[in-house]
Amino acid sequence: MKISGSYTLAVPQEQAYKMMQDPEVLARAMPGCETLEKIGENEYRMKMKMVLASLSGVFDGKVRIADQNPPESFRLIVEGSGRPGFIKGDGLLKLSPSATGGTDVAYDGDVQVGGTIAAVGQRLLDGTAKILIKKFFEKLTAHAA
Amino acid sequence: MIPQKFEYTAPDSLKSVLQLLETGAKPLAGGMSLIPMMKLRLATPEHLVDLGKLKELNYIRESGNAVHIGAMSTHFDIETSPVLLRKCPLLAETAADIGDLQVRNRGTIGGSAAHADPSADYPAALQALEARFVLIGADRERTVSGAEFFADAFTTALEPGEIVREVIVPIEEPGTGVAYEKVVQPASGFAIVGIAVRIRRSAGKITFARIGVTGLSNHAYRATAAEAALAGKSGSAADVQSAAALVTQGADANSDLHASADYRKHLAVVHAARAIATALSRSA
Amino acid sequence: MATTIAEIQKEKQVGKRLRRREDPRLITGTATYVDDIQMEGMQYAAILRSPHAAAKIRSIDTKLAEKAPGVIAVYTGKDTEKVGAVPCGASLPGLRVPHHNILAVNRVYFVGHPVAVVVAQNRYLAQDAADLIEVDYEPTAAVAEPEKALASGAPAVHPEWPDNVAFTYHQDGGDVDKAFAQAEVIIKQRITSQRLIPMAMETRGVVAEFRAADRQLNLYTSTQIPHLVRTLVASMLSLDENRVRVITPEVGGGFGSKLNVYAEEALMGFLAQKTGKPVKWIESRRENFLCTIHGRGHVDYYELAAKRDGTILGIKLKIIQDVGSYLQLLTAAIPTLSVLMMPGIYNIPSIRADIVGVFTNCMPTDAYRGAGRPEATHGIERMVDILADELNIDPAEIRLKNFVANDKFPYATATGLMYDSGNYAAPLKKALDMVHYKKLRQEQAEARKQGKWLGIGISTYGEICAIGPSPATPAGGWESATVKVEPSGKVTIMTGACPHGQGEETTFAQIAADELGVSVDDVLVVWGDTAVVQYGIGTFGSRGTAIGGTAVYYALQDLKEKIRKFGAVLLEDDDVALADGKVTSKKTGQSKSVPEIAAAAYRAMKLPPNTEPGLVSTHFWEPPNFTFPFGTHIVVTEIDGETGDIKIRRYVAVDDCGNQINPLIVAGQVHGGVAQGLGQSLWEQAVYDDSGQLLTGELTDYAVPRAHMMPWIEAEHTTTPSPVNPLGVKGVGEAGTIGCSPAVVNSVVDALSPLGVRHIDMPLTPEKIWKLLRKGA
Repeated sequence: MKISGSYTLAVPQEQAYKMMQDPEVLARAMPGCETLEKIGENEYRMKMKMVLASLSGVFDGKVRIADQNPPESFRLIVEGSGRPGFIKGDGLLKLSPSATGGTDVAYDGDVQVGGTIAAVGQRLLDGTAKILIKKFFEKLTAHAA
Repeated sequence: MIPQKFEYTAPDSLKSVLQLLETGAKPLAGGMSLIPMMKLRLATPEHLVDLGKLKELNYIRESGNAVHIGAMSTHFDIETSPVLLRKCPLLAETAADIGDLQVRNRGTIGGSAAHADPSADYPAALQALEARFVLIGADRERTVSGAEFFADAFTTALEPGEIVREVIVPIEEPGTGVAYEKVVQPASGFAIVGIAVRIRRSAGKITFARIGVTGLSNHAYRATAAEAALAGKSGSAADVQSAAALVTQGADANSDLHASADYRKHLAVVHAARAIATALSRSA
Repeated sequence: MATTIAEIQKEKQVGKRLRRREDPRLITGTATYVDDIQMEGMQYAAILRSPHAAAKIRSIDTKLAEKAPGVIAVYTGKDTEKVGAVPCGASLPGLRVPHHNILAVNRVYFVGHPVAVVVAQNRYLAQDAADLIEVDYEPTAAVAEPEKALASGAPAVHPEWPDNVAFTYHQDGGDVDKAFAQAEVIIKQRITSQRLIPMAMETRGVVAEFRAADRQLNLYTSTQIPHLVRTLVASMLSLDENRVRVITPEVGGGFGSKLNVYAEEALMGFLAQKTGKPVKWIESRRENFLCTIHGRGHVDYYELAAKRDGTILGIKLKIIQDVGSYLQLLTAAIPTLSVLMMPGIYNIPSIRADIVGVFTNCMPTDAYRGAGRPEATHGIERMVDILADELNIDPAEIRLKNFVANDKFPYATATGLMYDSGNYAAPLKKALDMVHYKKLRQEQAEARKQGKWLGIGISTYGEICAIGPSPATPAGGWESATVKVEPSGKVTIMTGACPHGQGEETTFAQIAADELGVSVDDVLVVWGDTAVVQYGIGTFGSRGTAIGGTAVYYALQDLKEKIRKFGAVLLEDDDVALADGKVTSKKTGQSKSVPEIAAAAYRAMKLPPNTEPGLVSTHFWEPPNFTFPFGTHIVVTEIDGETGDIKIRRYVAVDDCGNQINPLIVAGQVHGGVAQGLGQSLWEQAVYDDSGQLLTGELTDYAVPRAHMMPWIEAEHTTTPSPVNPLGVKGVGEAGTIGCSPAVVNSVVDALSPLGVRHIDMPLTPEKIWKLLRKGA
C-alpha cells in the first residue's frame, strides 16, 4: 500500500531533522513503541504494542534510518513481526521550511503487511495508517513544544 | 478460528460490570466485530464481560423531546421499535440496513458505537441526529456529543473503564423528512458510504437540514457545508445537486480494495443528492 | 414401508420432481460431517503456516510448543520428509513437477504453506502451542501474477526453474494459417478469468485413526474422491491400500475443491500412526482461503478470423494459466479442457491453442465448478459478441449462423472431440421468446435515447460433461455400481460416485424404482466408504448421473435378468415378464413379487440353471464418449449511469442436459451454478498483492454471493437426449456456472456499447463501470 502526505511541525527545519534522528524522540513518537535499543549505526531494535479497536498485538522489529541528507531528507525503514503477522514500511521523508516558520514534512512510502492482518485488515489499513502517522507527528509536535 | 483462552463473566447488574471493567476486562456488547477478531487471535482479551444480561441497558423510551435508547438495544430492536418508527424514523431506517438479520439480532447500538468502525451505518444517522452519548464508568457518568464521541477510526471519547450507557436521539418535529442511503460493500455488508439526511421545510423554504456521512473517511461526520447550502433554499433539483456536491468537503477519503478514494467521494455526492431528494419528498 | 404394487404401478419415477430424500437431515442439522466424528482419546492438530509467500526457513524452534500444556507431539518438515509427495495426477509432456512435501522443508512457496504441526488434547491447546513455535524465515522476492512471473528478471518461484514455466502445451486443428489468411476480419482481445476461491460451506476436515495391531488406517475426510484418496494416501504413507479405509461422511460442498489429495490427508494419517491416537483436523475458514485449491486464473489472448458475413473461420488462443506454487492433482489438466472447449458450439474448422502454465507464489489452482470450460466459454462467447459488434450483426443472428447444424451430429470438432447430439438453436429461440427479444431491442433503443443504460447479453454455451472416457482422464473415467436386492426385497445401491449435493440419493433411487418396480423409499443409496463400496472414481465433471447413473442402470439390467430367472423357477414357466415389481407367468398369469423372489433367491432351495444364489450385481461402466450439454442464458441488465451499479432485470436460463431424471434437482443445479457464475461475473476475486499476500483472505473482503443478492432465475429447458448412455442424460452440475458469466458480461458490455466499450474483465465492479462511464461521458 502506498502512503503519502505531509505534516507541518512547529519547529525550524534543522531542529525538526535532528529530532527525527534522535532515538529517544523516536521511541516516544512511534505509536505503541515500548522499547528502542541501538543495535548498529542508525539501526535500532524495537518492541511495539499496537492497539486499535479490538485488535491488539505485540511486534518485535527494527527501525533503520538511511540515506541521510540533513536537513532535507532521510529514509525511515520500519519492520516488525508478531503473532498477527508482519509489517514493513519504507518511506522517504522530505523536510522543507513552512510558510509559518516551521517545517513541512512530506512523506512518501510503501507499507507492506503480511499474515493474518493482511487478510482481514484490508478494509482498515488505509485508515489505520493515517491514524498512526498522525499520532507520530502529533507526538513529535508535543516533544518540540 | 480458535480464540485464546479467556475468562467470561455475564453479570446482571451494571455496577458489577463497571467494577470488572476497572480491572481491565473488555466489554462484550453483541460481539459482531469482537468475536471474529478473537477467533483469528487478533484480539486477545483475557477477560470478557458480557453486557447481554443487563436489562437496565435494554430499553427504548420516550422522555421529553427525546428518545432514550439503552446501549444493549439490538439493531433489530431499533429497526422495529414502534417509538422510533414514529418519533425518530431515521434511526430505525438505518438499523434496518445493517449487515444481515443475524447481525441485527445480535449486534447492539452501544457495541457498534463504541467500536466506531469507520464504515458502520449508525454513525451517519447519529451525526445527523446530533445524538448524545451517555458514558458511564465506575465513578462517573457524562454526556458527550456525536462530534466529540466519534474521534477517529475505532477511536471514541470512551475512557478505559467506561461504556456507552445510553444513546439519546431527538424526537423529530412533525413534517421532518428523513432518509438513509447506503452503498453496500458486497462482502462485509458495511457501508462503502452511507448518507443520513433530515430536512424540514416551512413556507416552501428549507429551514433545517442535517446530513451525516459514514464510510467515506476515518470517522462519520456532519456535512455542515452541505447543510448550510440547503438552508433557505426551495429544494429544487439544482439546490440538491449543489448541496450534495459539498458533502465531501474537508473529508480525507479512504481507499481500499472495494472503492478508491475518488469513487467513494463520487458515491458520497451521488447518494447525498438521492438521500436529500428522498428526505425532501418525505418532508411536509 | 407398506407400499403396494398397485400404487407403484401408477407412474414412472424417472422424470418426476421428487424432493431430495437427503434434505431433511441436511436442513435439520442432523447429518454427520467429519467434524461430528468423535473418538475415545482423540487428539487435535493445529498447523502452523507460513505468513510469507517466499522465504527460506533458517530454523524452526519447537521447544516451547513441545512443553506447552496438553501437547503430545510437534513435527516439522524434517520429520515428514519420508512421506510421499502430494500427488500431481495430470501428465503432460515436459511437465515440471515440484516435489510437494506435506510440510515445508527449507523453503516456503506461498502464504499458508504448512510448516509445522502440533498435536494436543484439544484444538485450543493445539493452537496455543502452534503460536509458540518460532520460525526464522529469510524472506525472498515473490511473484504473484502469472504475466509478471513470465517477465524476464522475475523472481523464480522454484529456483530450479528460473523462467517459472510449469509446462507448455500446443494443439492445432484444421488449417488455422489458411483461416487467418482468408479472413476478412480479425478480432483480437485479451480476456481474463480471475482467480476464485471455491468456498464450500463445509471447510475441509480429516480424522485419522491408526489401528497398529491391524496395520489399518481409517481416514475420515471431506472429499469428492474417496477411493482415489485411499490409493494415493496409502502410497504416500507406504501403507497397503487394502489396509487404508477412507470414509466420506456428509460433504458440505466441494465444487472441485475436494477433488484433490491434500497434504493434510496424509499428514493426519502420519500423526495417527506416530502418536497412536486418533487425530482430528478441521480446516478453519482462514485456512480454507489460503490452502484449499483456487480456481480459474486465466489470462487469455484471443484472435478470431471471420468473413464479413459473420462466418467464423478460425481461432487462435494463448492461455496463460496461473498454476500457483505447486501442481495439485489436476492443476495442469484444467486449461487443456479449455482448449478442447474453445470452439464452443460453433462450426469453427480451424484452431490453434498454446498454453503456458506459470508458477506463482500463490495457492495452486485446480478444478473449480466448470474447470476449464467456463474460461473457454467465456472467451468464445465474448469473441462472438465482439465480432457481432464489429460487423454490426445481431448477436443472436451471428450465433444462429455459426451453430453446428442439427444434421451434423455426431460432430467432430477441430479440437478432437465428437459432439454427441445437439439442437443448439432450440434453447436460443426459446430464450429469445421468453425475453421478447425484438421488443426488448426496441425498448433498448428507446432507453438509449433517454440516456439510460440497458443491456441484453446472450450466451449460447456448450460444455463437456460426463468426464470422462478413461483415455481422457488421469485415473480412469468409468464409474461403478453394485445393486443388491436384499432378502426382504429392499434395494441397496452402492455407487462409486460420491454425491455431495447433486441429489443422487434421490435420482439413483428413481432409476432403480422404475427398473425394478419398487418404491423409491425401498431403495437405499450408499457411497463414500471404501470398505463397503467397490472401487469407484467419484463425483466431479458433471459425471455422477451420466456415468454413475448408467453404471447403476446396467447393474440393474443384470439383476433384472436374474430376477426373471428366479421368477421363472418359482412360477414354473420359462416365459415370464418383469414389470411393475413382479414377475408374471405369461402362461398362467400368476406372479411373484420382487420381495418374494428375493427371499427365494437367498433361501436358495431351488436355483435356476447356472445361477448363483443371491441378488447382487456389480457393473463398471466405461463411457464411449463425453456428453455435450448446451443451452442459452440471456441476461438483461440496467446500469445506474451515476454510480455504475448493475441491476439484473431478468435472468433466463434455458438448458439442455438431455433427459432429466428429476427436473427439480436439475433446476436446483442450474440455480446453484448460476449463483456461482454471478459470483465470478460481479463480485468474487482472489486478490494477491505483489508480495504474495492474499488480500481477500476472509469473508469480509471476498464477496461470495448470498441469497439476497440473487436475481430471480427463470430456468427452462429443452431436451435433446444423449446417445452416449441408455438414460439419455448429459449432466448439469456445472452448466449454470458455464453459461452465466458470458451472458452477464455481454449484457453489461452491450449496455455500454454506445460508449465504444467492447470488453470488460470480471468481476464487473461498479467502480470499473463508473470509470468507463466517466471516460465515455
